[in-house]
Amino acid sequence: MTCEQAKPRMTDYWSLTLGEAEQKEFSAHLASCEACRSEVSRVGALWQSLDLLPLEEPSGKVRERFYEMLGAYRQGLASAETQPAKRWWTMPAWQMAAAAALLAVGLGAGYVARGNGQPPAEVSQLREEVASMRQLVALSLMQQQSASERLKGVSWSYQVEPSDTEVLNALVTTVNHDPNVNVRLAAVDALRPFTGSPATHLAARNAVVQALPKETAPIVQVALIDFLAELKERNAAPELRRLVSDPDIDSGVRKRAEWALERMQ
Amino acid sequence: MIKRVGIGIGLAALAAVQLGAQEGRQQITMPFRDPSMPRKLIVEGGTGSLTIRGYQGQDALIEYTGREIPGANNRRGGRNDPPDGMHRIGGSRGLDITEENNTVRVNSQGIFGGTARDMVIQVPAQTSVNVKTMFGGIMTIENISGDIEAENFNGQVTINNASGSVVAHSMNGKILVSLDRVAADKSMSFSTFNGDVDVTLPADTKARFKMRTDFGDIFTDFDVKMEANAAPVVEEEKDRKGKSRRRVRVDGTQSGTINGGGPEMQFTTFNGRILIHKK
Repeated sequence: MTCEQAKPRMTDYWSLTLGEAEQKEFSAHLASCEACRSEVSRVGALWQSLDLLPLEEPSGKVRERFYEMLGAYRQGLASAETQPAKRWWTMPAWQMAAAAALLAVGLGAGYVARGNGQPPAEVSQLREEVASMRQLVALSLMQQQSASERLKGVSWSYQVEPSDTEVLNALVTTVNHDPNVNVRLAAVDALRPFTGSPATHLAARNAVVQALPKETAPIVQVALIDFLAELKERNAAPELRRLVSDPDIDSGVRKRAEWALERMQ
Repeated sequence: MIKRVGIGIGLAALAAVQLGAQEGRQQITMPFRDPSMPRKLIVEGGTGSLTIRGYQGQDALIEYTGREIPGANNRRGGRNDPPDGMHRIGGSRGLDITEENNTVRVNSQGIFGGTARDMVIQVPAQTSVNVKTMFGGIMTIENISGDIEAENFNGQVTINNASGSVVAHSMNGKILVSLDRVAADKSMSFSTFNGDVDVTLPADTKARFKMRTDFGDIFTDFDVKMEANAAPVVEEEKDRKGKSRRRVRVDGTQSGTINGGGPEMQFTTFNGRILIHKK
């Protein structure tokens, strides 16, 4: 094996994805080549420091995303293999430096382009990437065990495009199922931007209508009722009437439901 | 890998049970398996008062008493009445304490036992605490530097000397919180339906407040930079006689920042005041 053949296999070596024969050849080359040995140990150090990053509590979604990422990584490998000889810019260290530089340029470009009328195509692509990163942050925070973290996820959701159905779905799940009253309360408020977007307003309205019968905490019931009144959501009228006539419901909530019914007239 | 202590249901006890000096007062020690890992305490149920306190030790110490409560079964001549010349030292109160993955879970369903329970739980200060009671009285949490989640259906929630994060709710009681220190990136939320929300924060706290009270006022001695309210919404609507009229509505949530802004803190009450004190 030559140096040029060995270099692309370094990450494979550390990720233990080399075939048996390849592994032998690779080790043989390392034994004979000082430059490649030091390169491999550099890549290895990076791998190990990646290992030291704290582990997240995995949930079902995390697993799904991991496989999505793995798929993308494999695709990347496959397309890399079809390229002929490897050049300096394909070395991991250079790629990382380039990625960092690109990120800096991107942030700079985004900053400069802020407020301009029509952003160039690259900037809007960058914006998309930032948007999807925000989406990821919001989604993963909303799945955390700590209520404080989930609250943070809910406030991140204000930073995604209101047409983002995945974040909307996560918020709806939170409104319906989060065990913490305060988190549900914050999530109800966070649905508001979605009722203004043509892509999601129907789903968001329905979510509010469907959440009300399930909710038991008066403070969240009132937040939902206010929201329905604001939306003039007639579909909620039967549930509001039920609340008004249910003696087990808190009197403050019943009065609010009555008020909402009047507003919808 | 579950340690389980069942009192009154006769499961094998791995923890030390000792009778306190006081009549009917008992203490259980439940160690956290790995002192170097994050600890968590989960408390569910309970009908009496509940106090959770951070202390210097390593274990969870659970101390409780059975308190007589009025009720058909407890009246003189009722099913749970002590026989002449005797007093209650224990019984089927359904207290269940488990430890799993450094999480100690205290599950107390006293409503079926006919006696209420006053409970004091001590844990190392650096423990995350998650408490939820439906029929409890006053809930007090002190000296905890982990994340606190507290929910009380009927009673007041008091949190003193907290230095992690707080997410607290009471349905029919006051929320009284005092934080010694505020972590730079923690979101917090304080809410009650019927009662005041009274929170004391260190003077240098950086935060963005979101405040809402339906029937009450908001007071603070912080220098809050209020954000403009959401733009008033003008609605065209028809009155009962079919004449069209106009209504201007302003969203009731108010926002503002202190010390330049930071993570979000939400204060919500329906019937009550919001008081935010500077420490």
